[in-house]
Amino acid sequence: MSPTFKPPSLYRRLLIWLLVPMLALGTLMLIQAYLASRDTADRAFDRLLESASLSIAEQVKRQHGKLWMDLPPAALKMLASNAEERVFYALYDSYGNFISGNAELPRIDTGQGNMRFANIEWHDMALRLGVRRSRLEGWRNRQPFEVRVAHTREGREALTQTLFQGSMLRLIAMALLAIGVVLLGVRMALMPLTRLRRAIRARDPRTLAPLELTLPRELAELRETLNDLLARMRRVRTNQERFIGDASHQLRTPLAGLSARAELALRQDDPRAWHDALDVMRGSADKTARLASQLLSLTRLNNPESSPEAGDVDLCDIARQAVRDALSSSHRAGIDLGVETPSHAVIQHAVHWQLAEALTNLIDNARRYGASRITVRVGEAPRRLEVEDDGPGIPEAQRLLVLRPFHRGMESGQGSGLGLAIVDGIARAHAARLTLGAVHPHAASPGLCVRLQFTEESIP
Amino acid sequence: MTARCRALARWTLMLAGMMLSALTLADAQVLRYPATQSPARPLEIYGALDNQLIAPLLADFHARHPDIELVYRNLTTLALYRRFMSANATSADVIMSSAMPWQYQIANRGLAQPLDSAAARAWPEAYRWRHELFGFTFEPVVIVYRRDALAGATPPDSHEALLRLLTHQRQRLKGRVVTYDPWRSGAGYTYATQDARMSPRYWELVAALGGVNAALADTTGDMLDGLADGRYAIGYNLLGSYAREFVADHPQLDMVIPKDYALVTQRLVLIPKRAPHPDTAERFVDYLLSRQGQQVIRDKTPLGAIHTALAGEGTALDLRKALGDAIHPIAIDPSLLATLDTLKRHSLLERWQREYTRLSDGPP
Repeated sequence: MSPTFKPPSLYRRLLIWLLVPMLALGTLMLIQAYLASRDTADRAFDRLLESASLSIAEQVKRQHGKLWMDLPPAALKMLASNAEERVFYALYDSYGNFISGNAELPRIDTGQGNMRFANIEWHDMALRLGVRRSRLEGWRNRQPFEVRVAHTREGREALTQTLFQGSMLRLIAMALLAIGVVLLGVRMALMPLTRLRRAIRARDPRTLAPLELTLPRELAELRETLNDLLARMRRVRTNQERFIGDASHQLRTPLAGLSARAELALRQDDPRAWHDALDVMRGSADKTARLASQLLSLTRLNNPESSPEAGDVDLCDIARQAVRDALSSSHRAGIDLGVETPSHAVIQHAVHWQLAEALTNLIDNARRYGASRITVRVGEAPRRLEVEDDGPGIPEAQRLLVLRPFHRGMESGQGSGLGLAIVDGIARAHAARLTLGAVHPHAASPGLCVRLQFTEESIP
Repeated sequence: MTARCRALARWTLMLAGMMLSALTLADAQVLRYPATQSPARPLEIYGALDNQLIAPLLADFHARHPDIELVYRNLTTLALYRRFMSANATSADVIMSSAMPWQYQIANRGLAQPLDSAAARAWPEAYRWRHELFGFTFEPVVIVYRRDALAGATPPDSHEALLRLLTHQRQRLKGRVVTYDPWRSGAGYTYATQDARMSPRYWELVAALGGVNAALADTTGDMLDGLADGRYAIGYNLLGSYAREFVADHPQLDMVIPKDYALVTQRLVLIPKRAPHPDTAERFVDYLLSRQGQQVIRDKTPLGAIHTALAGEGTALDLRKALGDAIHPIAIDPSLLATLDTLKRHSLLERWQREYTRLSDGPP
């Protein structure tokens, strides 16, 4: 993001979305107001054409066998308002012959009724023309005729302007009011957002306590989401603190043992005792080193920012390798370690070292908790890894707890308590399902079957 | 065949000669004021105003604007209108005429251009139309009578009084009254339409005029001459601007402006759209409406001045003060168009003729 780029403001966005349509609407209303004003003015002035033509038509009669009229001067005066319009009139007979008038005005063919109106262009003048069709009054020979009157548009335009200015002023006042209300409304509506921002900014950065703030519904959802996140962060931190505590405790115990053993050996002069002590110390150091490496694996697994390189791996290969590695030590301990794999490769997209680590841990676990027979199995459809033993197993109630670091299934055991936690971490990293089950549920030693079953999304 | 040809040729020659003489006659009616400053700017005015009436005004204008090459042509109102309406004739820069309906018809057709000057804007609304047509004189229509002929009787100071006089003194006044012939005189016709619109009792007056076998004249000049040499005792509907001067020179005559209502006619000036020199035309019309121009009209012509700041004999201000609401200027509005309507003209003249012959013993 370059420093000159400013992210769009919510306030401005709201204003644009409210004001632009409002302005467009206002423009439309102005146009409408103008058209309405013109229409009103035209209707008002058309009445003049109507009455003038009527008063002329009333004076038309038949004389000497021809159409005759005694033009009333008032009719012509009627056509001119204060705007001093130019006025024109003409009398036509039914055949369209000009009888009398001061201008030859065109006829109007469109329209209905006895009175018709039209805007015409006549000798470079814009005229409003009104044509009245009428008949002679009388007992016989009701001859039809047309009275055509016209005037220029000055009066109409002046009235249109007056009417339009009135509506324009009202519209502008309304628009100003609406803009003010919108500005105020948007500011009011965005106020809780400002409050939320201030509340977050004012917080102690170390606290993870939930936000206590009364907010409108839309923002309350945001607050709840934030609070959920905070709660999760609180749990994570508690776990981390406990893990660090447990880890230091776990590391301190063997180190203290080492220290005590060395001290004890130093007090003796017998080189055999030294040798024994050193032997014990080596075992202890190995155990501690293993603990440290397990802790490291767990940390690596739990680090959300590490992205281990995944590839296509053969599950059978991994299983055989793990059994091979553990074979000699198992043999020494008198444990029957075996592997069951399909004859062909079972390919899964996974992180190689993590799966190997999981199997090593599971075999190790089984050995430590008193199994005499361990079988590593690779299954297909769905692809899975299983480690089965005939040890004492884990009671159902304990099965979730054992997945937590430093929780040991049995106080008597000699494991570090991290094995299953690591396996759980690996399973989670591969989005695989980890299940713990008994092999023989009702036997004295039910045994344990740990299954790592890959699912469709199992791509780390 | 040849004889006919020769006859035709002779006719053509004769016609040409008549036209030539007409042209030279027309030339006699021209006033020229050459420019004394260069560059000269031409201005051509057509007017229906006698040379001796307009001359002081033109001279004063020319003195103020010596760079204007001024030509004034005096035409009759009818010739003026026809000449203007004929499409091919070159237009004048300014047209002045007392034929109000015709001037209005020209402006109404959109053939005049508006004048926007300080004087034009300040001109009273009643005496202009759309800033295109301006009335620049104020001439009441009056009654003139011989003092000796009416000895013993009250002079007719209103239409009512005139009607009474004509009815009561019918025998004594037979053949001794004169008025405009509405058939032949445009002014007479205009006054008749206005009189008829003022009151239906006008027709009683027409009947009474017929009853005394009133003579019908074409011009105010004819009527004044007849009154001066004793042929007539009373003249009705004379143009006040002419009568005022004439009566002042003839002590046997007296002039009355009717007190019930006095028609006032105006000379209207306009600048045609086709005017070749609109700039000088605007200067002239602006001058006509200015205080200086109106002052010349008041002081050096019998045409009454309209300018609201000018008082004195014959001015609009004085007449209004003396007669108040009775002053009835012929309005510059669309009703003038009605007087031009042919059918209307026939209707009115027929009615006039009918009323005129109603009481008469024989044909007029």
